Amino acid sequence: MATHDLWTPDRLPDPFAGVAKFLFDWIPLLVLVVGWEVASGRAVSESVLPPPTAVAAATVDLFATGEVIPHLAVSLLRVGVGLGLSIAVGVLLGIGMSQSDAVEDFFDVFLSLIYPLPKTALVPLALLWLGIGTKTAVLIVFLACLLPIVMNANNAAENVDQNLIRSARMMGTSDRRLFWKVVIPATIPEILTGIRQAIPFAFISLISAELIASEQGMGRLIRDAGSIGRYPAMFATIVIISAVAYTAVYGFEQIRERVLVWT
Amino acid sequence: MDGRIGISHLEKVYGEGSERTKAIDDLSFDIDGGEFTSVVGPSGCGKSTLLYIIAGFLDITNGTVSVDGTPIDGPGTDRGVVFQDYALFPWRTVKENVLYGLEEAGVPDEEADATAQRFIDMMDLSGFENKYPKELSGGMKQRVALARTLAYDPKILLMDEPFGALDQPLRETLQDQLIDIWGDLDKTVVFITHDVEEAVYLSERVMIMTRHPGTKKTVTEVDLDRSRPREDIVTSEEFTRKKNEVWRSLREETKSEVQP
Repeated sequence: MATHDLWTPDRLPDPFAGVAKFLFDWIPLLVLVVGWEVASGRAVSESVLPPPTAVAAATVDLFATGEVIPHLAVSLLRVGVGLGLSIAVGVLLGIGMSQSDAVEDFFDVFLSLIYPLPKTALVPLALLWLGIGTKTAVLIVFLACLLPIVMNANNAAENVDQNLIRSARMMGTSDRRLFWKVVIPATIPEILTGIRQAIPFAFISLISAELIASEQGMGRLIRDAGSIGRYPAMFATIVIISAVAYTAVYGFEQIRERVLVWT
Repeated sequence: MDGRIGISHLEKVYGEGSERTKAIDDLSFDIDGGEFTSVVGPSGCGKSTLLYIIAGFLDITNGTVSVDGTPIDGPGTDRGVVFQDYALFPWRTVKENVLYGLEEAGVPDEEADATAQRFIDMMDLSGFENKYPKELSGGMKQRVALARTLAYDPKILLMDEPFGALDQPLRETLQDQLIDIWGDLDKTVVFITHDVEEAVYLSERVMIMTRHPGTKKTVTEVDLDRSRPREDIVTSEEFTRKKNEVWRSLREETKSEVQP
């Protein structure tokens, strides 16, 4: 989050500095929420922009009635499978392209073609091929996440420090083992960076696919609530999926820092 | 004694056609097992190329380079390279870096551990076994790199300006440590440097290379009593004479470089 860099609380003792920084980081959001609360029903009609208090109540309600649970579960499954597939394929492809010119030449054209394409533009096509539901959503999530993962993995695998490779070969590591002993560990930081970049794409593409091509999921819930005028519930669903996406990114960053103690 | 290096009519050409550049031209030089040889020369003279050829990283265009009579065919554990940029595996701790060559050689865990610890202690790295390279200073990183290379016991140490990135006091400490190791462990050392004083201080022979394309220009034999403390050696009349001899020879090469 960009707001984390705005202010460095050098002059305060540590415990206060932590609290102060936290507050400072979240003040913009607080200002927005308060402004929204005030504006709703005054500057803008409450039916178009329900106040945050109503959205909060709808959020609690969505969980209390259990209405959101199956949608959230389906959405998380789709993100998990789509992202998981893109990690598996992306890492293999990225590193494979660095190891073999034939592999690189073959896949390069496809990657170059899908790179500038908004992946959500493929939703209607995916719908035609795979029908409404999980398969379509997973395909779109997979495609949206694939490129950052392939590119980071490929870039890292192609730029492994030559002297590390030379050292390993000098110490008796065969070309085949070199891959596991040097190339893979040297590439892990960038692979994790690629995954980190892909997580937001996963949620964006998921919701886009579910808005159009799903009977279930958070995207579908947003559409349904919106189409019958349950605006507080619609906003609540957006808030919930945003919070989930934020938690996924934050959680992944924590894991990444722990894995990469050596960087 | 093992660890002999034979270089005969070595020629190394990079590139093809109009891109062709000759890096090394008709270089012949023999290094005895256990000998400490430095190679100095103006930048771009091919001294690093020479080292990489002995290491087996580069192919030869013409001539032969052999270790104990066997032509070099790629990298191998009979030789060890110490790079200026340390080339430590950043994801491995100090201990794990030193263990690398032993793991690859299939040395049983307990024995490997004892050997690694011995070289960690020898290089004054005790207490830092579980640190990652990023947590170490440049001097310590280079000591880890030396320990890692020594641990798998190559006969030949190939050192590519290993202390070039370190400040003077640190460099001197490591030079003295290297002399002690060389005395104790009977290694053949080929040491690339552009520092004349370093070359004379460390080596039994200093080969000066001509500038581009590089070949052997002169060889200065240095016979110093290295059991004396550094201050006695560097202030001795013999050290100064040898240093000037190498410096003058190198100077002729760098001077011609300045001419248009």
